[in-house]
Amino acid sequence: MSEDQKIIQAFTSGEYKEGFVTDVEQEFIPKGLNEEIVRMISARKEEPEWLLEFRLDALRKWQSMPMPDWAHLDMPEIDFQDIIYFAAPKKDKDRPKEIDPKLAETFDKLGIPLKERDVLAGVVAVDAVFDSVSVTTTFRKTLAEKGIIFCSFSEAVKEHPDLVRKYLATVVPASDNYFAALNSAVFSDGSFCYIPKGVRCPMELSSYFRINARGTGQFERTLIVADEDSYVSYMEGCTAPMRDEQQLHAAVVEIIVEKGADVKYSTVQNWYPGDAEGKGGILNLVTKRGICKGDGSHLSWTQVETGSAITWKYPSTILKGDYSSSEFYSVAVTNNHQQADTGTKMIHLGRGTKSRIVSKGISAGVSQNSYRGLVRMAKGAQNARNFSQCDSLLIGSRCGAHTFPDIQSQNPTATVEHEATTSKISEDQLFYCNQRGIGPEEAVGLIVNGYAREVLSRLPMEFAVEAQKLLQVSLEGSVG
Amino acid sequence: MGHGKYIAPSQGQYQVQAGEVLNLQYVVLPGESRDIEISVDLVGPGAEAHIKALYLCKATEKVRFRIVMHHKAPGCKSTQLINGIAGGQADVRFDGTIVVAPDAQQTEAYQENHNIVLTEEAKVVTKPQLEIYADDVKCSHGATVGQLNADELFYMRSRGIPEAEARTLQMLSFLSPVIPEGREEEIEAAVRSL
Repeated sequence: MSEDQKIIQAFTSGEYKEGFVTDVEQEFIPKGLNEEIVRMISARKEEPEWLLEFRLDALRKWQSMPMPDWAHLDMPEIDFQDIIYFAAPKKDKDRPKEIDPKLAETFDKLGIPLKERDVLAGVVAVDAVFDSVSVTTTFRKTLAEKGIIFCSFSEAVKEHPDLVRKYLATVVPASDNYFAALNSAVFSDGSFCYIPKGVRCPMELSSYFRINARGTGQFERTLIVADEDSYVSYMEGCTAPMRDEQQLHAAVVEIIVEKGADVKYSTVQNWYPGDAEGKGGILNLVTKRGICKGDGSHLSWTQVETGSAITWKYPSTILKGDYSSSEFYSVAVTNNHQQADTGTKMIHLGRGTKSRIVSKGISAGVSQNSYRGLVRMAKGAQNARNFSQCDSLLIGSRCGAHTFPDIQSQNPTATVEHEATTSKISEDQLFYCNQRGIGPEEAVGLIVNGYAREVLSRLPMEFAVEAQKLLQVSLEGSVG
Repeated sequence: MGHGKYIAPSQGQYQVQAGEVLNLQYVVLPGESRDIEISVDLVGPGAEAHIKALYLCKATEKVRFRIVMHHKAPGCKSTQLINGIAGGQADVRFDGTIVVAPDAQQTEAYQENHNIVLTEEAKVVTKPQLEIYADDVKCSHGATVGQLNADELFYMRSRGIPEAEARTLQMLSFLSPVIPEGREEEIEAAVRSL
């Protein structure tokens, strides 16, 4: 084995340290997907009639839809009847108000503080979702004083049914796509967040998703509403145990940004990517979309994607309000047998709308990494502007990097620019570092971090550190 | 239409062997709907392919470009440059794919598509795609859809160049990298007719 190959191997064989399983008593509903199961989930969550109808309608739509095959992915057959659609940790009957110590320990291990006193005062409020249920939401009282609603989706349905009903599925309708329809039928829990008019959320809000149970899928739903002139920064993280079987994660995230509001949504996705032979891992099939509904609104997506066996994810923005703007910053890392097909859609409808796309793909091992993006300038998008940059970095000669942009312009005053490059870490760059006493592995880390800097610098501070570490683990020491 | 000898047929499949160089040139003039569909396989080490295309639309033309550039051997080089102006109710679409096979190391592949939309009704869709399975490559693509630069226009008008003339100059300079030799006058006349 040559020196280069050794370094690549060291770099690409970083361990997945979140791969443990929590031994906690759980209750399940039977395997399979049909009307009865959907009714069972809905009954278990004591949902109102309209939500059950919404689910059943989505199920019927899903049943009539074909599985999409346009992505540049080698998708395994998914047997939707072989999945448990609802799994929840059993609550200790004697202490119903307390969090199960084992769960607390799990989240503690993951570095997610569930007890408010553990956190530096007023830094991050967390909604922790374990399999199909939200186990706790911190800082609810502090936030409530400002009128901010931050709770699990199930609680929101009970406590704020009007808000949920008003906004649910307005951005991602149930019939939007195969996986959104599936999610709409069986979604279990997730986070709900409402920022009232003119309120600046005093802390970062965060959802943390954890898959634990075997044979289950996670189908969470997140709904964020930022009313006029409000601001919120929202973070999302996820991990799962190491298993030989592949598990399904099909989430829907909807964001509504009203006039003058500003939402920043950040994701660090670290689902179990499968082992070096491509066995196991999470199938991450997610629909995320926001609408800049009012004039001057702003939505920013930042994502660091390092996990999952398969990623199928296109966080998108509909720029409806005049002079609204949106950004998409992404670093997607694939290694071993991972496959990622990710990107964004920017739909410009309003006048003077602006969007910016910066996507950095890094592929190593025998992985495939694709950027897929759509920029559409509708007839009314006077003077709209988009700039996209999609760079790919290849590490090793057996991986692939692909770019599939789609640019549509129907307005003579709109400007769209797209550029993409593909490259590897050059000998020159490495030589330069080595010459100055920086070892090959460290040099690669340096170059990769520099390559991804533009995106990493957009992450909230709490996440930036984690993301940089993740990059190191997923990609330590690569030489082309 | 009166294309010069440089103009390649609209449909074509080409295999370029080691050391060979393929040059393809396309011109689509106003009033002409065209479906250009070509695939080029670079099969020998060191093969090269260069594609240049120009289109001008002012009515209800439909212009399609479908270009597949397949790098199958190491050390090959390809460039693509497609520039055009869409006016009237034109419908222009560019689908370009560069595929670099796993063993095609030291590939250099560049693809550029620039479009100017002149009217409300004209529509441009561009899909420049890269599929890369080798790591020692230099590949890039760029695509733009926009309008004539207002600052440039102002610069020229402030120096006494009438607006229509200034716009013509802008369009000609935008097209100049893809205008085939010997057809400058014909293309200038077509630009003036837009």
